[in-house]
Amino acid sequence: MGKFVVIGERIHCISPTIRKAMDEKDPEPILQRAKEELDAGATYLDVNIGPAESNGEDLMKWAVQLLQENFDNVPLSLDTANKKAIEAGISVYNRSKGKPIVNSADAGDRIENVDLAAANDAIVIALCSKAGVPSDNDERMMYCQELLERGMERGMDPEDMWFDPLFLVVKGMQDKQLDILDFIGQLRDMGFNSTGGLSNCSNGMPKEIRPIMDSAMVAMAMQMGLTSAIVNPNDKRLMETIKSCDVIKNETLYADSYLQI
Amino acid sequence: MPFKRAPQAFSSSIKKVTIGTGDKAVTLGGANVMPLYTFDAPIENKPAIGIEVSDRGINGSLPKMAEYYAGAETLVDQAKRAAEIPGVDFLTITLDSADPNGDNRSVEDCVAECKEVCDAVDIPVAIQGCKNIEKDEQLFNKLAEALQGKNVLLLSAREENYKSIAAAAGLAYGQKMGAESAVDINLAKQLNVLVTQLGVQPESMVMNLGSAAAGYGFEYVASTMDRVKSAALAQNDSMLQMPVVTPVSDDAWGVKESIVSEDDFPEWGPMEERGIQMEISTAAACLACGSDAVILRHPDSVATISALIAGLM
Repeated sequence: MGKFVVIGERIHCISPTIRKAMDEKDPEPILQRAKEELDAGATYLDVNIGPAESNGEDLMKWAVQLLQENFDNVPLSLDTANKKAIEAGISVYNRSKGKPIVNSADAGDRIENVDLAAANDAIVIALCSKAGVPSDNDERMMYCQELLERGMERGMDPEDMWFDPLFLVVKGMQDKQLDILDFIGQLRDMGFNSTGGLSNCSNGMPKEIRPIMDSAMVAMAMQMGLTSAIVNPNDKRLMETIKSCDVIKNETLYADSYLQI
Repeated sequence: MPFKRAPQAFSSSIKKVTIGTGDKAVTLGGANVMPLYTFDAPIENKPAIGIEVSDRGINGSLPKMAEYYAGAETLVDQAKRAAEIPGVDFLTITLDSADPNGDNRSVEDCVAECKEVCDAVDIPVAIQGCKNIEKDEQLFNKLAEALQGKNVLLLSAREENYKSIAAAAGLAYGQKMGAESAVDINLAKQLNVLVTQLGVQPESMVMNLGSAAAGYGFEYVASTMDRVKSAALAQNDSMLQMPVVTPVSDDAWGVKESIVSEDDFPEWGPMEERGIQMEISTAAACLACGSDAVILRHPDSVATISALIAGLM
């Protein structure tokens, strides 16, 4: 399936620094984070501009151009509830390093984002949920099929649909974790790509524990066939785990300095 | 269902490395398809051919070689003659006589002679050492400095001596350097990582992955090159995207087929023809596996391999 695709999650308007930079169109804080993420091994960068109802189109265009011009057309995941902003971002997007990702669609209110990705030859992150958390894997699979059908009807290559199993928080939903891993295995068996907000599993845990839990989860999920995750690439332990798993899976050639690249 | 042809062009590509200067400069690499797969996407730079001259002189016991280089007694004259061979893209000087276990020629003499050759030819120049780690380190350091501005390719740095060669060739004097790994795929990547960590740009490096004459363990060379190319293209491994330069001649002209006399093996036919055939088959195999340049010794091999490349591009 290829080397694990790390989508860096740190350009997110929930961070006050980024929020302010986006409001003021101040490039520096955004470029700084992007550089940190890329140096740490991110392939894609997620650009979350929030709902951005008033200025979303302008803002997304600005962010896409800023990042791609400064980082050799780095591929991006465009993350906002504002569809027009995603389209605006794609209109200025350079595809030489990879298609844009539409983040995200689900089988409910946001299913139209599949159409948007199809119309713009983009990748879509397709959450296998409708409203709330699916109760079991049958339900997940049903939503997966709905999304797949929607995409294929509109001419999408199934490879461009990255299904999100919905990682659930371990604290409180410990009994669901193996289901998620099992579902990732089902996606792999069908040849699908997968991704998701993996660090959700360690939500609410002490901050010194989170990298450990996330690393264990990513290793188990990669063994089941997870092909990507939206994570903090500056979590050193997590990235070391991902890189080691990629070597074990023969997705990248081993060299003694593999952790440094 | 109708057949839908899906060209296998990758979004990553082999890095471009230019050697030499001016009109005759040669750019290696740049392809975003598997070796020679022009049907998947155009290949911008065709594989290049280097011709090798040794500072020990040509092997005059081979009649065709002797005829070709007749009258060219010095290395400079031989180099000028070699540079005129149709199909040759760059010259390669091999400093065999520098070997401390052989003639042990001084670094100063070698450098002076290389400089003379570089001034006499207008095609790009690559320089191979004598395969002695310490001596090559000294040679490449001095050559990098003395040939500043010529943009030469120094072949090659190894695990034991890469630091100072990278500092001189790759950083201080703006030359190009090879990283040599003797058919060890993990070492090939590791060396590239180490050299680039010193600050050398990937565009200033090529890989010498090592080779073997066809029939002498070439399968291992083939699988190594295959893995390197698929890592570079399919896995977008930037630490393996340097062009591959393969010196073929030494292996090809060193095996039994190329050195036993016709008197001993009359049924094998003329020795020189056998050597040429070994060189051609090894070079063709290397190109098919992913060499972006091959270094050959015999003018007849150059003629055949350049015709092969022209036919495939």
